[in-house]
Amino acid sequence: MTNPKIEFKDVNKIFSGNTKNELILQDINFQIYTNEFVCILGASGSGKSTILGLIAGFIKATSGNVLFNSKDITRPDSSRTLVFQDYALFPWLNILDNVAFGLTTKKHKQNNVREKALEYLTLVGLGNYKNHSVNQLSGGMKQRVAIARALAVDPEVLLLDEPFGALDQQTREAMQTELSRLMTKTKKTVLFVTHSVDEALKLADRILVIGGKPGKILLDYKIDIQKPRDPSNNQLTSVRNILLDKLFQPELFMGADI
Amino acid sequence: MKITFIRITFFVLLFSIWQMIVKLGHIPSYILPAPFSIFESFYYGFVTGNYTIAIISSLVRVLIGYFMALGIGIIIGILLARYYILDVTFGRTILALQSIPSVAWVPLALLWFGITDSAVIFIIILEAVLPVTLSTKNAMKNIPQNLIRAAQTLGSRGLHLYQNVIIKAMVPELITGLRLSWAFAWRALIAGELFISGAGIGQTLELGRSLADMSQVIAMITTIGLIGFLTENLFFGSIEKRVRLIWGLT
Repeated sequence: MTNPKIEFKDVNKIFSGNTKNELILQDINFQIYTNEFVCILGASGSGKSTILGLIAGFIKATSGNVLFNSKDITRPDSSRTLVFQDYALFPWLNILDNVAFGLTTKKHKQNNVREKALEYLTLVGLGNYKNHSVNQLSGGMKQRVAIARALAVDPEVLLLDEPFGALDQQTREAMQTELSRLMTKTKKTVLFVTHSVDEALKLADRILVIGGKPGKILLDYKIDIQKPRDPSNNQLTSVRNILLDKLFQPELFMGADI
Repeated sequence: MKITFIRITFFVLLFSIWQMIVKLGHIPSYILPAPFSIFESFYYGFVTGNYTIAIISSLVRVLIGYFMALGIGIIIGILLARYYILDVTFGRTILALQSIPSVAWVPLALLWFGITDSAVIFIIILEAVLPVTLSTKNAMKNIPQNLIRAAQTLGSRGLHLYQNVIIKAMVPELITGLRLSWAFAWRALIAGELFISGAGIGQTLELGRSLADMSQVIAMITTIGLIGFLTENLFFGSIEKRVRLIWGLT
């Protein structure tokens, strides 16, 4: 078997506050391989976004190792780009320049920056909007720009932190289909954080369920159903039941203080 | 169109009533001159060049003080944002400075620098340095973390990050500081100029008083108000509006 793209080895993460230190993640171990589409599923506050922060390189593990291509992750890098729930587009740049942003850094510097950016903007279906300003766009369009921006630097791993959480249901479903299509086209390793079971079932090759306090991996489940998937598929329904079971279990015994 | 018409009517009425009160009440011109003699004062002031020179000298003075204040204020602001210990000591002290009106610094400035330009520039700096310091500090502290992280994850760091994200994210808050500093500088300029020699709006105003030329006094007061209004509201106001629009803050 090949080396994992991303590997967590006995990772613990403590956030130190003013009054007390809080253990967010405990004994996290998993491997993610090239071209996998992995959903990290968990309730709010379960530490699932912290996992993305560790991979992106924004924060460091308190103990244990977070490895990317078998090397410790020390700082953010365009080989692992993150897409935020609140888009985090640069309001002072137009749409095209937002997508081109990563291409202007030293590592990616080249002559045809704008053509390349337009290529990615066209890929997400917004080629005609290149000169628009950020606040002229709807939420769904903003997130498509953010995804184009993250893909433009050709990362090995695409990290998405509840990217469709702020969108209405209809846009959300359209965006899921869009992302699924994009990912089969561009072939990236994807980590997708969500609290929606249905979203995970629609997109993921593999689902990691995070839960409890402190957050632990409760389930690591591979879904071998061809995409696009029919939500009423029997096999999918049984997976959904397994996931829901795991997701709501910790809440039950959390009160019992185990 | 309609508003313009109403405004013009208002001013015509105002000046007519003013003119009538002065003429019918036989008010001496050193107490309240008629509007016509103020227009006359403006006319001769610009024809002889006295007012033009006064306005230009004042603008040069205020611009020197203003830009020096910006330089100092931005540096102090960055230091305050970066070093907590500086903020709680020095930072708190300069907040107290804000409650001192510029005219209170005049005696000190005159003793240090004499009745020279330097004294006025010193007062302008003292007044104008505060708003820009505070807004620089706040702008640095309030940069949205996600914008920095978004830039970092796309491979931006060091100088590229500073030039393309950190400074840009600070702009809206900084503009507010620049506008406030300008307003403070303008007021400090006039306060200082009343006490020094040479050409300038404040000096011309003070000269009008000593010659009992009330037309000149009112002409200068009008000039101060007009330039202040144009720069603060039209110039800085429109920049601020545009920036807020582009940054999506309205």
